[in-house]
Amino acid sequence: MPDVSTNRKPGYSLVITGAPYISQAPATAFDFCKTLLETGHKVDLVFLYGDGVQLASVLTAPPSDETNWTAQWQALGKEHRITPVACIASALRRGLLNEEEARRYEKPAANLAEGFTIAGLGEWVEAVTRSDRVVYFHGGA
Amino acid sequence: MKEPVESNAPLKCEGQVTLHLLNKPPSHPRFHSCMAALQAEDHLLLMENAVIALADSSVALPPDTSALVRDCLARGLAEGVRDGVTLVDTRGMVELTDRFQRIISW
Amino acid sequence: MNDTRNILLLVIDAPPYGDWRGREALDMALSLAAFDQPVALMFRGEGVNWLRPGQDGSATDQKTVSRNLGAARMFGLADIYADEDALVRFGIDKTEPGVDAVPANAAFYARFREVIQP
Repeated sequence: MPDVSTNRKPGYSLVITGAPYISQAPATAFDFCKTLLETGHKVDLVFLYGDGVQLASVLTAPPSDETNWTAQWQALGKEHRITPVACIASALRRGLLNEEEARRYEKPAANLAEGFTIAGLGEWVEAVTRSDRVVYFHGGA
Repeated sequence: MKEPVESNAPLKCEGQVTLHLLNKPPSHPRFHSCMAALQAEDHLLLMENAVIALADSSVALPPDTSALVRDCLARGLAEGVRDGVTLVDTRGMVELTDRFQRIISW
Repeated sequence: MNDTRNILLLVIDAPPYGDWRGREALDMALSLAAFDQPVALMFRGEGVNWLRPGQDGSATDQKTVSRNLGAARMFGLADIYADEDALVRFGIDKTEPGVDAVPANAAFYARFREVIQP
């Protein structure tokens, strides 16, 4: 049954599975997330899965006249105290590493952007059980 | 907290009313899969590349269809393209996701 | 028949070996099962090729996917469905036991609490 009878708005978790620029997923999700927050909704979790983990890379260097989606999410996250979580399995196979994983795998560098964190699918499972709505933003391909 | 699904609540004629979020163009297999999954009282929101369906004369859209206006504007599809389709901004999208407890992203 | 209304359905509609999409969908299903959440799996469209017998993933330096499906069963993922039209289209007339051929339509999806298709 829809939640319209109560004053409490549904709480949301968002899952992004498309990479920035290669898809619109991080952009569409950004606008949706911003609107949720502006309209008094709680955002429980922003979870990056599959190609969506690319949003958390500090090495993304789009041209200066294009939107930097990583920076956009960092700013939104900072303002609203949301730390998007990149799934560790998706991240490792795509070369997104925090300091700990870079050391563990003896890689020359870490590239997780500030304001993002890496964790397992358990975070997503918890959101699925706890959030009123889980909305997925997939790539287009 | 998520509202529990009552195990003895009657199903609607074919099941639970659903909001479908479709971001893929008609050429993508999921477009057709989505069309095959629509029930009478469901709502379809076209976003991203899916909005080109508004201009695709070979595509029939269900009566309760919305399209995200930002994606229509980007693609030059915001004016007089398809009767009966509601253009919604992101606030309108949030109103839809608030309203429908069941949401499927295609 | 189980009351499926509390079950989350993960859908795989990409063929195996060409990319990781199906594997990552399966990982989601396995995680749900590992955390004791009721989950079912569906192979739809080109995804039914996951169910073709006689695969040898090692020919392309990959694990054969039936091993991943075996893991899924061990984790307690019991309900596996396959799109009946796609099985016919791809000439797969004998899936392994425990796979239910179903129509990929509204009535089928309506039975599940969520439908997730990464």
